[in-house]
Amino acid sequence: MNIFKKIYNYRELLKTNVKKEIRGRYKNSILGIMWSFLNPLLQLAVYSIIFGALLAGGDKTYHIYICVALIPWTYFTTAITQSAFTVIGNADIIKKVYFPREILPISVVTSGAVNFVISTIIILAFVIFSGIGLSWYLVFYPFILLIQFILLLGISFIVSSVTVYFRDLEHIIGVILMAAFYATPIVYKLEQLPANLQIIMQLNPMTHLINAYRDIFYYHQMPNMQILCILLALSILLTVIGYFIFKKLQKGFAEEL
Amino acid sequence: MKESNDIAIKVDHVYKSFNIYYDRANTLKERMLFWARNKRREKREILKDINLEIKKGETVALIGVNGSGKSTLLKLMTQIIFPNQGTIETKGKLTSLLELGAGFHPDFSGRENIYFNSSIFGLTKKEIDKRLDQIIEFSELQDFIDNPVSTYSSGMYMRLAFSVAINVDAEILLIDEILSVGDQHFQEKCFAKMRELKAQGKTMVFVTHSMESVRNLCDRAVWLYDGQVRMDGNTDEVVNEYLRVTT
Ligand SMILES: Nc1ncnc2c1ncn2[C@@H]1O[C@H](COP(=O)(O)OP(=O)(O)O)[C@@H](O)[C@H]1O
Ligand SMILES: [Mg+2]
Repeated sequence: MNIFKKIYNYRELLKTNVKKEIRGRYKNSILGIMWSFLNPLLQLAVYSIIFGALLAGGDKTYHIYICVALIPWTYFTTAITQSAFTVIGNADIIKKVYFPREILPISVVTSGAVNFVISTIIILAFVIFSGIGLSWYLVFYPFILLIQFILLLGISFIVSSVTVYFRDLEHIIGVILMAAFYATPIVYKLEQLPANLQIIMQLNPMTHLINAYRDIFYYHQMPNMQILCILLALSILLTVIGYFIFKKLQKGFAEEL
Repeated sequence: MKESNDIAIKVDHVYKSFNIYYDRANTLKERMLFWARNKRREKREILKDINLEIKKGETVALIGVNGSGKSTLLKLMTQIIFPNQGTIETKGKLTSLLELGAGFHPDFSGRENIYFNSSIFGLTKKEIDKRLDQIIEFSELQDFIDNPVSTYSSGMYMRLAFSVAINVDAEILLIDEILSVGDQHFQEKCFAKMRELKAQGKTMVFVTHSMESVRNLCDRAVWLYDGQVRMDGNTDEVVNEYLRVTT
């Protein structure tokens, strides 16, 4: 398809953009790149203490249970939040020069993925030093990440383009993501919920991705491939739909901004 | 079919209008609060039924008074904006030089901006590396190339932008009025370069108010008046008529 060729031709711009986003995030702070580690660690400490007291039930590895979920969750929320800003933040060049606008949401999701892979070091450090150790199920890591990447790409196409016309989306997303944090088994176990709620939670794609990350890092068991494949198919579908929405809406970007 | 092969830009029955908002409501709150006010929106038709066929290798001047729609037409050709009606097709790699400072990052140095700007035009790092010296040399900005471009004068901006644009191997080059901010020496250098590009068979569309350079460089002139093509044809005829009417 045409779009792949276009993105390939503009790969340098994509690379520059991804670098800019990764570097730019901590450029002006004293601790710099350290924050990308400190941030999730501090968050983890807070959650472990608060929810640990409430929900851990004597589980000595509860903080690792959260950590394995919190890092991919951070990728999920950061990418979506940034998507809401990316077109608006690049208004200047959108109004003045042509380049494939798709580059913008793609850079957001890609730079998030790079950050996520780097932050995975935190997970690895925790499981190694706590004695949980590593398992060969880690080979599924790229596959789970790929699904998350495609899912985010679809969401990002929609969020980045719709926000231009409907600026409230930015705030609505903040609220939805906050609620979604509790609607995803990050700090608790799915089994701790009433059965009917559990069924609803199955509709949340992040539930399955978090479960899969936990399987490979924490429980050392085979992730549910059937569910992951369905999720992959649905994510691809969402990305295709998102792309068409983006493609239609991007025609008005220069005038709306 | 055979004929369409050597058409570089085809503008077919293009209409473009802009919405003029007097009080723009962007958020739900504003929309609800100022519901009545939102009706104060006006649709202004800027381009009306534009038809143009520009052949490969042609150098076309776009002339007309301020506000006649020249920049809007160039923006449509670049695909920054899209027509309300009609179609625009371009064939081959296209580069445009529309506004001063477009595609530049003010905090980056001139050198970094060469990379940034060229990547917006679809070049890879390797390709830019190869051209870097050539671009800097043409711009004559050697002494300033490592300063942030926010310290540049308009003329210096233009020098850098023009030098990048002619070095990205585009087949079609669209240039708005910006050449006029360059000094005499550099403007002449630009026109000499454009003559060279013309000899290489590149297609160019440019906007200028210097009728002398139109006569020197172009085979064809298109006169836009109030969003419509008033006259299109041989440079001398169009320019003479334009000067007769406007002065
Ligand atoms: N984004 C815009 N919104 C509303 N009106 C616009 C916009 N851009 C241009 N116009 C109007 O379109 C007309 C033509 O503008 P332009 O194409 O820049 O003219 P020119 O380049 O020939 O001087 C002007 O009346 C200008 O006010
Ligand atoms: Mg203009």
